[in-house]
Amino acid sequence: MSGSSGSSGAEAVASAVGLSKVYGSGPAAVTALDSVSVDFERGRLTAIMGPSGSGKSTLMHCMAALDRPTSGQVIIDGQSIAQLKDRALTRLRRERLGFVFQAFNLVPTLSARENITLPLDIAGAKVDPEWFDLVIETLGMADRLSHRPSELSGGQQQRVACARALVSRPAIVFADEPTGNLDSRSSAEILGFLRRSVDDFGQSIVMVTHDPGSAAFADRVLFLADGRIVDEMVDPSAEKVLERMKGFEMAGRRG
Amino acid sequence: MLRITLKGVRGHLLRFVLTAVAVSLGVSLVAGTYVLTDSIKATFDGIVDSGVKGVDASVRAVKVEDDVPRENLPLSLEKDLRGIEEVGQVYPGYQGSAVLVDREGTAVRNSMAPTIGLAYWPDDIALTMVRGRGPQGPGEIVVEKSTLKRSGLAVGDTAQVLVQGEPRKAKIVGEMDFDAALAGATLVLFDGPTAQKAFSPDGTVQGFSLRGKAGTSPEQLRDRVAQVLPAEAEVLTSAQLQQEAEEDMDSKLGYVSTFLLVFAAIGLFVGSFLIANTFSMLVARRVRELALLRAVGASRGQVLRVVLGEALVIGAVGAGLGVLVGLGIASGALAFLADQSGSPVGTGTPLQGRTVAISLLVGIVVTMMSALVPALRASRISPVDALRDDIVMTPKGARIRGTIGIVLSVLGSAALAGEVTASSPAWSLIGVYALAVVSGSLLAAPLSARPVIHVVCWPFVVFSGVVGRLARQNALRNPRRTASTASALMIGLALIAGVGVIAESMKASVADIVEDELTSDFVLSAGNEPIAPSVASRAEKLDGVGSVVAMGQVPLAFQGEWATGLTGDSRALGESIRLPMVSGELSALERGQVLVPEEMAKAHSWTVGSTFEAAVGSSRGHRLTVGGVFEDSQVLGQSLLVPRPLYEKGVPLGEQGDFYIFVKASAGADLEKVRSELKGLVKQYIVVSVQDSQEYTQSMADDVDQLLLTLYALLFLSVVIAVLGIFNTLALSVFERTREIGLLRAVGLGRWQLSRVVTIEAVATAVFGAVLGSLVGLGLGIAVQQALVSEGLDILSIPWMTIGVLVGFSGVVGVLAAVFPTVRAVRLDVLKAISTE
Repeated sequence: MSGSSGSSGAEAVASAVGLSKVYGSGPAAVTALDSVSVDFERGRLTAIMGPSGSGKSTLMHCMAALDRPTSGQVIIDGQSIAQLKDRALTRLRRERLGFVFQAFNLVPTLSARENITLPLDIAGAKVDPEWFDLVIETLGMADRLSHRPSELSGGQQQRVACARALVSRPAIVFADEPTGNLDSRSSAEILGFLRRSVDDFGQSIVMVTHDPGSAAFADRVLFLADGRIVDEMVDPSAEKVLERMKGFEMAGRRG
Repeated sequence: MLRITLKGVRGHLLRFVLTAVAVSLGVSLVAGTYVLTDSIKATFDGIVDSGVKGVDASVRAVKVEDDVPRENLPLSLEKDLRGIEEVGQVYPGYQGSAVLVDREGTAVRNSMAPTIGLAYWPDDIALTMVRGRGPQGPGEIVVEKSTLKRSGLAVGDTAQVLVQGEPRKAKIVGEMDFDAALAGATLVLFDGPTAQKAFSPDGTVQGFSLRGKAGTSPEQLRDRVAQVLPAEAEVLTSAQLQQEAEEDMDSKLGYVSTFLLVFAAIGLFVGSFLIANTFSMLVARRVRELALLRAVGASRGQVLRVVLGEALVIGAVGAGLGVLVGLGIASGALAFLADQSGSPVGTGTPLQGRTVAISLLVGIVVTMMSALVPALRASRISPVDALRDDIVMTPKGARIRGTIGIVLSVLGSAALAGEVTASSPAWSLIGVYALAVVSGSLLAAPLSARPVIHVVCWPFVVFSGVVGRLARQNALRNPRRTASTASALMIGLALIAGVGVIAESMKASVADIVEDELTSDFVLSAGNEPIAPSVASRAEKLDGVGSVVAMGQVPLAFQGEWATGLTGDSRALGESIRLPMVSGELSALERGQVLVPEEMAKAHSWTVGSTFEAAVGSSRGHRLTVGGVFEDSQVLGQSLLVPRPLYEKGVPLGEQGDFYIFVKASAGADLEKVRSELKGLVKQYIVVSVQDSQEYTQSMADDVDQLLLTLYALLFLSVVIAVLGIFNTLALSVFERTREIGLLRAVGLGRWQLSRVVTIEAVATAVFGAVLGSLVGLGLGIAVQQALVSEGLDILSIPWMTIGVLVGFSGVVGVLAAVFPTVRAVRLDVLKAISTE
C-alpha cells in the first residue's frame, strides 16, 4: 500500500513526494521513511498514527523543515523546500509554519503573552490585535497572559503553545504529540481547541499521535508502519482506529 | 568514588580546563614572584659574598638611632688599627659616586643601581685584574669589566668621569673583574690618594675593612680589635656583615614580593568567583546524576567528596600549570630588568621546593574553598530528586544577602566619607571601611543586576526588539550567576578606576603646586643623585641669572620623630618659592635658626624662639631654635628649613650635594638665553638636566604614568581571568539552554538573531561589571584622594577618558567572550536540540 494516498478532492496545503529518510550508511543504515508520497489538505486536521519506530515523527520533522530528507520533495503552500538554505528555512518556519511540541514549548524567561507573539516579534511583524484577542478568548487564557511558564499548569502551557502556533496565521500547524504529557481532561481541552481552530478559523493542522482517542478528533488518519503509509481512514472514531491498529499489530506479529 | 570523581572531570573537560587556566593565572603570579625574588636575592648575595672576599672584619660607627644614619669615623683610626699585632691589612672605606661617561657623552648608569667609585688596593682579591695595571695618580682609573663593556670604551682610552658629580678626565689603564654579576651597578676605581681626596675630603670614612695576619681567625681578630676601638665604633666579622646585608636584602625584597603577591591575591580572588560559578553550574546540571548516586546508596559525605575531589584535581592541575607560567613570567621580568640595567640580573630562574609547595597549596586551597559552597549544596540533594522531572535549585536568601550588602556598602561609604574628611584620617579605618564597601557591593551585586541590566540592555531592546529582550531576560534568569560573573570583572575594573583617579589627581595636584608655589624659572636636577656643589656656584655667575637656590637635604631626628631638613639661601629661597611666613622671618635662617612648617609647629607647640634637641644627619646633640613658622607648602612638604652651616655639619663633605637647584632669572632677562646658558653649563655634568616649570611638571607626570602603567599591567591579569569567567558562564548557559535554543530556532529565530542574543547577554554582563566596578573604583579613589588632601593631593581629577575606555573595553570583552559560545549555539542542530533531554 505504499505510494500516493489520495484525498477527497480538497486542495493540498503540504505534500510529500517520494520522501525517504535514511539514517547512517552501509550495513548499519536504518530506513526511517521509505519513499512516502502524501498530500495534507487545507483546512483539515490530519492525524499521523503508528507504533514507535514507524517513522511518524520523522515524516513530520521532514514536512516541518526541521529535518532534511535523504531524497524526495516537500512542498509547503506551493513552495518546494528541498533547495532552501538555512536562512530561507528559518524564514519559512517563522512565517508559514506553526509548532506545538510535546513538552518544553515555551521560553521560560518570557511571559505567556510574549511567548505567544514570539514568532511575530522575531519576524519584526505587527500583531493583529483582533486576531490575538480572538485566539486568546477561544483558549480562555485572557487572565493568564502576564504569567511566566513556570506559573502555569501543563495544560495551560500547551494552550499557550497552541496560541503561539496560531497567532501568526501560518499555512499549516505541526503538532507533535501535543497531549502526550497531559491528563485526559487537559488533553480533551487541547484537542477540542485544535478541532475548533480547523472548523472556525479554517486552520490546516497535522498532528502526530499514538493515542486512538486523540486521532478520533481528526478529519483523516494516516497509519504509518516501517516508514510507509500502510492505511488511512476518513472521519475516524476511537473504536475504529483502535480496531485498525490491532489489525496492524496482528499483521506485524504474523509477518 | 575516585573513579566517579575523575569521570566527572573528564565529562566536563572544557569547563574544567577553563577553571584550571583561571587557577593557573592566579598561581603563576605567586610562583613568578618567588622565582623572581629568589633569583634577585641570589644575585645580591653573590655581590655581598664577592665583596667581602679577602676581608676578615669591618669597623664602622655604631648605630645610635634607627632613623639616624651612622656617623663617619676619623681616618686617624687607621693608625690605631694598624698598631694591633693581629691586624695584617687595613683598607679605609673610600667610597662615593663615580659615573663613567661613554664616547657619545652619555652617562653609563641606570636609575635602579648605584654608580660606585672605590679605592684600588693592589692586594684586594675581590677584584682581579683582567687587563692593564692599577691606577697611579688622579689622571688614571681602572674600570670593572661589565661597566667598561657598557661604555664601549677600552683600556687605553681617555674618558670623562663624574666623581661626586664633578667632571674630570682620566685615562683607563686597567680592566678588573668582579666575581659576581653587578645587576646594573657600575664600578670605577681610583688609586688610594685620589680616592681619599675625592671621597673623604673631611678626613672621615664610613669604615675600615681589615685582614688578619695568617693564623688569626676572624673572630679572634674581631675580639682583639674591639678592645682598642673608641665607644662610637664597632667591629664585625665578615660573616656577620654578610648575614646583616643578606637580611637587609631579604627585607627589601620582602616589600617587592608582598607588592607582587597582593596582585596575585587579587587575581586569585577574582578567579575564585569563576571557580565557584563553574561548580555551581555543574552541580545544578548534575542534580539528577548526583541524586542517583545518593539513591544507590552514596552518603552525603561521599557526594561532598566527589565534588571537592574534582576541585582538588583542578586546583592541582591549575597550580602545576601556574608554576610553569610563573617561570615564564619570572624569566620575562628578569630579561626586562637586564635590558633596563644593561647587564644580566638574576641567576636564571631557580625553582625552589618552597615555591612549588606554596603554589600548589595556594592553587588547591583556593579552588577547594571556592567549590565548597556548591559542594555543600550538592551534598544536600536528596535521593528523591533523581525521580523528579523538573528540579529547580533556587538559591535562597538572595534578598536578605542583597539587603545586607546594600546596608554594608552604604554604611561603609558613609563611614569612609566621614573618616577621609577628618583632620587626621586613620589608614587602618579607611582600609576597613573600603573593604566594607567592596564586600557590600559584591553582596548587593545580584540585587543590582536587575536595574543595571535593564538600563544596559535598554538600547538593545529598543533597536533589536525581541532579540534584545531575550538577551536581557537570559542575563536576568539567574541574577546571582550573572552578578558573580560580572563581579570578577568588577573587582579588576574597580582597582583600575581607583588607581586611575589617584594618579590623575596626583598629576593635577603636582601641576597646580608647581604653578602656584614655584616661582623660579628653571629647576636643575639629576634624578635621585646629588648635584655637584660646583653647579650652583657656577650658575650664580651666569648672565641673566637673578638668584640660585641650591637645596641640600639632610635627615633630622628629634623627639622620636624623623623629618627632612632642607637648606638654601634665604633671599633666593624667597624668590624661587612662594613661602609666606606665619610668624618670624625667612632671614632667621642666616642667624642659624631653623624654620618649621605650620602643621609641625602646631603639633609640637613651637613658636618663634622655641628650642628643641635634634640629630642633624649623623651629627647629634644640636639645640635648634625656631626662627620662624611658614605656611604649609606643597613644594617643601613637612620639611624644615635649616641653615647651610648646620647642613654641612650633618652631612660628610664627600656626600654633600644638592638635590634641586632653583634658578630665577633676573628681571628683564631673556629666558631662552638663560636656558641655553644653563644647558651649556650642565652639559659637562652629564646627568644634570635643566627644566622649566612646565617640563618639570611633565617629568613628574611621566613618573606617575610609568607607575600607573605597571599597576595596570599587574591588574590586567585579573581582567583576563574575569573574561575567562564570562566565557565560561556563557558557554555553560548555552549548553544548559540547548532545548530552548532549539525551540527558538524552530519557531523562526535566525542564526544571526541567535548570535546577537548570546552576544548581547555577554556584553550586558560585562558592562554591568564594568559600571559597578567603575562606580566602586571612583568612590574609593575619591576617598583616598580626600584622605591625602593635607599631604598635597588637594585637587581631585577624575580620568573620565580612562573610565569611558574601560566601559567600552568591557563591551568589547563581552563580544570576544561570546564568540565561542555563539558559534556553539548557532551550530546546534535544531531537531537534535529540541529532542535533547
